[in-house]
Amino acid sequence: MNRRDSVPALLLRRLAGAVPLLLGVTLIGFFLTQNLAPNPVWELAGRSPTAAELAALEAQLGRGGLDGYLDFLGGLLVLDPGASLITGESIRSILARTVPVTLALMLPGLVIGTALAIGLGLLAARHHGRWLDHGLAGVSAVSMSVSLVVVVMLSQMVFSVWLGWFPARGWSTTSVADWLLHVSVPTLIIVLVNLGFNVRFFRALWLEALHQPTVRAGRAFGLSEGAIFWRRLLPWAAGPIMTRLVFSVPMLILGGSLVIETHFGIPGIGRVFYNAVLSGDQPVILAFVALAGSLVVVAQTLVDLMIRRIDPRTRDA
Amino acid sequence: MTFSPTVGRMLERNILKSALMMAWLLAISGCDSDSVAGRQVEAPKVYRHVIDGAPSSLDPAQANSTYGRLLVPAIFDTLYRYRYLERPYALTPSLALDFPQISSDGLTYAITLRPDARFADSPFFESGRGRRVTARDVAWSIARHFDPATRSGATWLWRDRIVGLDFGQPILPERMNIAGLEVLDESRLRIHLREPFPTLIHTLATAQSAVVPHEVVQGLGPRFGREPIGSGPFRLIDFNETQATLVRNENYDRGPVDLAAEGFVPELHDELGLAAIDGQPIPLIDRLEVQFIPEASARWNSFRSRSGTDLVMVPPELASSVLATREPIRFSEAIADEFYSLAAPEAGFVYYGLNFDHPALGRHDDPDQDRRNRELRCAMGQAIDWSARDARFYHGIGQRFAGVIPPFLPAWDDSFESGSFDPEQAGRRWTEAGWSEARLPSLTYGHSAGVQQSQHFEMLRANLIAAGYPAERIEQKVYATFAELLRGIHDGEVDIFLMGWTMAYPDALYNLQLFYGPNAPPGVNASRYDNPRFDELFARARRQTDGGLRNRLYQRLNRILIEDCVILGSMVRTRLHLWKRHLRMLPDREMVGGFFLPFVDVKPDSER
Repeated sequence: MNRRDSVPALLLRRLAGAVPLLLGVTLIGFFLTQNLAPNPVWELAGRSPTAAELAALEAQLGRGGLDGYLDFLGGLLVLDPGASLITGESIRSILARTVPVTLALMLPGLVIGTALAIGLGLLAARHHGRWLDHGLAGVSAVSMSVSLVVVVMLSQMVFSVWLGWFPARGWSTTSVADWLLHVSVPTLIIVLVNLGFNVRFFRALWLEALHQPTVRAGRAFGLSEGAIFWRRLLPWAAGPIMTRLVFSVPMLILGGSLVIETHFGIPGIGRVFYNAVLSGDQPVILAFVALAGSLVVVAQTLVDLMIRRIDPRTRDA
Repeated sequence: MTFSPTVGRMLERNILKSALMMAWLLAISGCDSDSVAGRQVEAPKVYRHVIDGAPSSLDPAQANSTYGRLLVPAIFDTLYRYRYLERPYALTPSLALDFPQISSDGLTYAITLRPDARFADSPFFESGRGRRVTARDVAWSIARHFDPATRSGATWLWRDRIVGLDFGQPILPERMNIAGLEVLDESRLRIHLREPFPTLIHTLATAQSAVVPHEVVQGLGPRFGREPIGSGPFRLIDFNETQATLVRNENYDRGPVDLAAEGFVPELHDELGLAAIDGQPIPLIDRLEVQFIPEASARWNSFRSRSGTDLVMVPPELASSVLATREPIRFSEAIADEFYSLAAPEAGFVYYGLNFDHPALGRHDDPDQDRRNRELRCAMGQAIDWSARDARFYHGIGQRFAGVIPPFLPAWDDSFESGSFDPEQAGRRWTEAGWSEARLPSLTYGHSAGVQQSQHFEMLRANLIAAGYPAERIEQKVYATFAELLRGIHDGEVDIFLMGWTMAYPDALYNLQLFYGPNAPPGVNASRYDNPRFDELFARARRQTDGGLRNRLYQRLNRILIEDCVILGSMVRTRLHLWKRHLRMLPDREMVGGFFLPFVDVKPDSER
């Protein structure tokens, strides 16, 4: 392994790559919000403003020019990207109160759903072409066809209205029991609506893995099914599994939680971002864009590091 | 007893599963416990309210939405408020000790404050204890709207009314020197007006007029909208995108409820159990949770669940499942048994507005063209099927009326008849006025994004097409938000728009201002209606201190709007409210707004 492939070198390369990426996405975000997003002046102006009042608001909100973008970048460098134009709350405070909520809401569904899909995908692949495979394909098709909104409304009705087992809305993490009470139905929904795609993905992955020469050779040498799974299948599949899992986290934080947060009244990041887009709250939108870019870079770096650890071929290259 | 290895493994798995299930259930059931170490404790009184949107700020200066206007009076005090139960709405002093002393020329209002009003505690006060609310606080709370730094959306309430109060300069509490806001001492304030303004007292009951403590506003800066401190009945402890949580403000002491003074009528209110709150100190609950739920289905599910919200405004699509009959409005037996209910008109109305800057819709210097344009507007009014709108969007229990003065206002004139739906006559009318199919103008209908808003457009287009209007000349323009739609109207991009206008106080002037020429965009006159005769009468009406004469002027103004076919409308929606039977309350989303919240009571377990 030469110096160029060492871990510090990889991290440095990623960091160097992150700078133009963040500059690019925030610059695009800046020009889009500048020119296409709703004007927040009208969000704040009230029922009957005068032209002078609108002009004063416009001047205060400071939408315009490269200066605004440079100010934003300056704030980003010191990890203080400013405050919301609409609510006045600092973006650091918004992120600090919403990101943990979204993670606590979405991660159980991600972990349980992925584990379940890995297992069911393996089961389908091992019974390829038989009734179990067909049955799971049918379940996957149903899961992929049903709208998230419909599942959310039905789950709310069944578990909160008819059975009364869980609260219809709200969020609390004052105790583990409280958290379980509030996270159970959303977790079930996340697992259900993602199961179809995940099972299909992992089935295809396991099918490919099962046809690898190393697996066939293992069988020929008389290795047990357990040994084949742990020594041949899993190392081969670990890379794609890790990639999917790690890249799901930024996607979950930034895009996947809006419907669930809105219907269950959970104060996570999805609703904040949605409101910011609708009201043209440029600092919040740009901060989220920067956060998304950073998370993708972090996820990519993590995946690279993990694959290097799992797959010897990447270390030897 | 011994088991085979297979059975043993199965049993192990089942025992493990059972243990996990038990732990899960125990953990969850622990949340519901209301006993501490075997001792029953009295549960705090909690009321869970719901509204269909979230306010972006709780600073009174930015309480522009229905949502902000509900919460702000719970946290802050206003000089006046509306009586809890009295209808038509009637004012009563709140932070003021009494009604103002008005000079004979109607230009000076002398107001004395209660001596016992205190702000909630905050570290920004000396020693952290809430201090007394003074006349200077009241004066500054009005004046700060005119400081650009406040970003107020409510300057229109007092613009050009109070002597020396103009927009544009910083207004610091310690150096405030506005001739029209004269602070005599800690308790007394005089407001000097530029001209008589008989609705001033109504503006002093709006959420935007709520009194704020300057040291907290200045200390928190923009954060004040998220962490407000006021002298109202409740204190905010948490506020996010989904919920506001408030607790009783320990510094609030207004004595016991005088139910008779609040407008209690035994025949109307006895069945709601309201008599029990007479003589109790307000607020009656310990904790108030206001949930923001935009989705109608989620609001309904939350209301129907055991631990969900305590009240719901029934979504139109569920009207059939809760109503037994629509005329008269009667709830089904199952609903009436399970919940308290109320069917009440909104304090406002819906109408289609037109862009009078459009050469084929507006007033015109050429009398012939002016007449043709008026005929086109009137004919379009006849093409609109309000019954279908009512059935589809408003439970089928809306109330049609002509003009902009709805039946619940004192200035209502029942001699005006709402126009009838007649598409054939509409088509004939615009054709006879010279609007052949080839000459009919292209029109842009603007609305904010949403399924229901799109359906409104489709229905309007279908109505006009049925009367013979070419389909391709009615275009749709969708805006991301309502604020963007307002921007589009301001920029002249929209020719027709549906507007739901909610009144902040029960005076017809509030609706008539929608057509006052000087209020043209960016002002509230979205139609850009510009009629010198209307404007002259309007200016007279707003100065008129005699209530009877003022109402007659309002009626004349309304007649001008009806005869000139200025709007396509109108309709008052009927709101259906349901609330759980463990509560004693009469909800209101309209003028009383947040003022009813301190009077909400939760029955003790023994009475449920």
